[in-house]
Amino acid sequence: MPPSPLSPPPLFLSSISRSKRFSRGWWRRACGGVLTVGLLVVASGGTLSVAQERQIILPVLAPLTGFVALEGASQRNGALLAVAAAPAGLTVEPVVLDTATQPEIAVNAFNRGLAEAGGAGVALAISAPILGTQMLALLPLAADAGVPLVTVSGTAAITEQDNPWVFRFFPGDAVVKAAQARFTVQELGLTRPALITQTTAYGQSGLAELQAVFARLGVTPVASEAVDTSVKDLRPALQRARAAGADSLILHLHAPSTALAVRQAAAMGLGLPIIAGSAMHQPATAALLEPAELEGVCAETSASPLSGGNAAMVAFTTAYEEAFGAAPDAFAVGQYDAVQAVLTVVAAGADSPAAVRDALASNSFSGLAMTYRSDGTGNMAHSALIVCYDGQSRVPAIVRRYDNPLGPLAPLGSAN
Amino acid sequence: MDPASLIAAALSLAAAYSLVALGFVLVLSMTGAVNFAQGDLVVAGGFMAVAVLAIIPDGPWMMPLVVLPLTLLVMAVGGVAFGALAYLPLARRSAPTIFLASIAVAMMIQNGLLGLFGPAPRSTPPLLSGGPVDLPGFSLDRQTLAVLVVAGGLLLAAGLILTRTRFGLRLRAVAEDSDMAAAMGVPVAVVRLATFALAAALAGAAGLMLAHQFFLTPADGAGFMLKAYIAATLGGWGRLSGAIMGACVIALLETAGAALLGFVAAEALLYGLVIVLLVVRPGGLLGEKSGERP
Repeated sequence: MPPSPLSPPPLFLSSISRSKRFSRGWWRRACGGVLTVGLLVVASGGTLSVAQERQIILPVLAPLTGFVALEGASQRNGALLAVAAAPAGLTVEPVVLDTATQPEIAVNAFNRGLAEAGGAGVALAISAPILGTQMLALLPLAADAGVPLVTVSGTAAITEQDNPWVFRFFPGDAVVKAAQARFTVQELGLTRPALITQTTAYGQSGLAELQAVFARLGVTPVASEAVDTSVKDLRPALQRARAAGADSLILHLHAPSTALAVRQAAAMGLGLPIIAGSAMHQPATAALLEPAELEGVCAETSASPLSGGNAAMVAFTTAYEEAFGAAPDAFAVGQYDAVQAVLTVVAAGADSPAAVRDALASNSFSGLAMTYRSDGTGNMAHSALIVCYDGQSRVPAIVRRYDNPLGPLAPLGSAN
Repeated sequence: MDPASLIAAALSLAAAYSLVALGFVLVLSMTGAVNFAQGDLVVAGGFMAVAVLAIIPDGPWMMPLVVLPLTLLVMAVGGVAFGALAYLPLARRSAPTIFLASIAVAMMIQNGLLGLFGPAPRSTPPLLSGGPVDLPGFSLDRQTLAVLVVAGGLLLAAGLILTRTRFGLRLRAVAEDSDMAAAMGVPVAVVRLATFALAAALAGAAGLMLAHQFFLTPADGAGFMLKAYIAATLGGWGRLSGAIMGACVIALLETAGAALLGFVAAEALLYGLVIVLLVVRPGGLLGEKSGERP
């Protein structure tokens, strides 16, 4: 019998030790905002019996500098909002550490964070970086130290290492790329896609998943090209896609390259529907483009806070904007949900890293974006959204939700 | 891409890269050391334009008439500060020491921009907006035309300053032999600071133009730095005209190579060319002027 979803208990703001990176004003606004979020989330689920007052230190590792700083900042912000909304009876001190872009820096941050949280056997969990190459370096360390890692990294390989200490609160590439390909083929009826991906580990992971799911759908891409993040002129790739007779453009690129591709496609009048990766749903990416350039552009994501939805998501978005002066994205939502799940099981009585791991592995959690439950390998998120821009604004509309895009493929044109 | 569009894209990219490479070689000639912060100065220029635009209302001629001159001015002041704080105190030290100091400056610029503006990519409006301009045989969009005019004008102005003015004469004298120049009454420190100002202003102009075409993030500096280094190597280490030629070769390979062969092959071709050139013609296309390479 499946367990009932765990939800955070009613929120009582505790005296949280602030990271010195953030001002008193930020903390007060965040706490005020998440009070609403917490109450709304609670309204959607049950409650837990709260253990006696406890204090824990939570290392928050994220790439805050370098080419994924945008995503890393979202991740950190989501984690900090979750800490500010810690369940009653729990005092959480976040320790924010920058992992930049190199695995070795992430390793150093991990060791420092672990030490600050009390060391192996004491540190209950670590909010781990979004960058897949860094996660791969941290996995054996987490296993050695016996500390659960919660992350929103999409790189498929991180949950394929037979490591029981990792929990991914973001749909992996297998899930979102399946949604992206299925939407293209089954919803739009397009069967001649051209793929443009990044040469990074992120890009290679996504490309492999896209190729696999398109093959399952009986579709062969007419063109496929990988580009480095330093490439500034994507028009040759767009031109080749057109020359190959593509009927759609499938992007799996980081934010700047995604914006470049969309802008240059609009400028050259490519006229193909664009179904992009999750970078396109980010408000910062859309802000680079005129609404008219976004017409006909869709993207996969796990959540789209700006698009609205339930009251808890709206409250989260408001709280985030007040606290950080920016619009949240799916990475912020995912890490918020991840840290909330950790704090919920700790508040419910998990008093060791192993107990936290076991609770994360065996329960389901009602989060802002979806209900999370481990598939046995640490993949907690199994839903994906497709959002599309109408050419009138920079806020996308949610047009399709896939709750199990990896399931058996329905006949062409039908929904699953 | 049709040949006309390809040439236009290559020319506008070459113009921007030339500004970066010229500033890089100016400092190289003056100090004998690689200025690793040149790429970050490009990014700083783009973000400076973003900051100016946040204060000044946007208008049809605001970019070329207000934002560009203001950006050049602020970047020149920044260049003086860079030279005064990170170079002059180390002027008598070895080239690797100065190189390391420039890396430190690059990191400070990158993280300063990250702190001030955040990690999100930023863009600037075009220098000139509107439809394409019809020229004999092909049409050119206004932004490309503006980039060519502005970059060409700046390169021409820099060339005239260096070859037709007393400052240029003094600069070349200091680059040749700073001790002798000082003995002849040349204010060496002032000339050096002015060189940093000019290099930073050129980089800033490139940043402003590249920000519209390709967006900029605080972490983009290393890529531009690499382009400048390769341009200097291809053209001839320490040669100003060589830097411009090298920048044109890079831009042509990036655009035409990507169009004809694909991105990966174009990238491989560029770096392969560098290796072949280092073996066959170590001095670069125009011959080497400065022999020390960190």
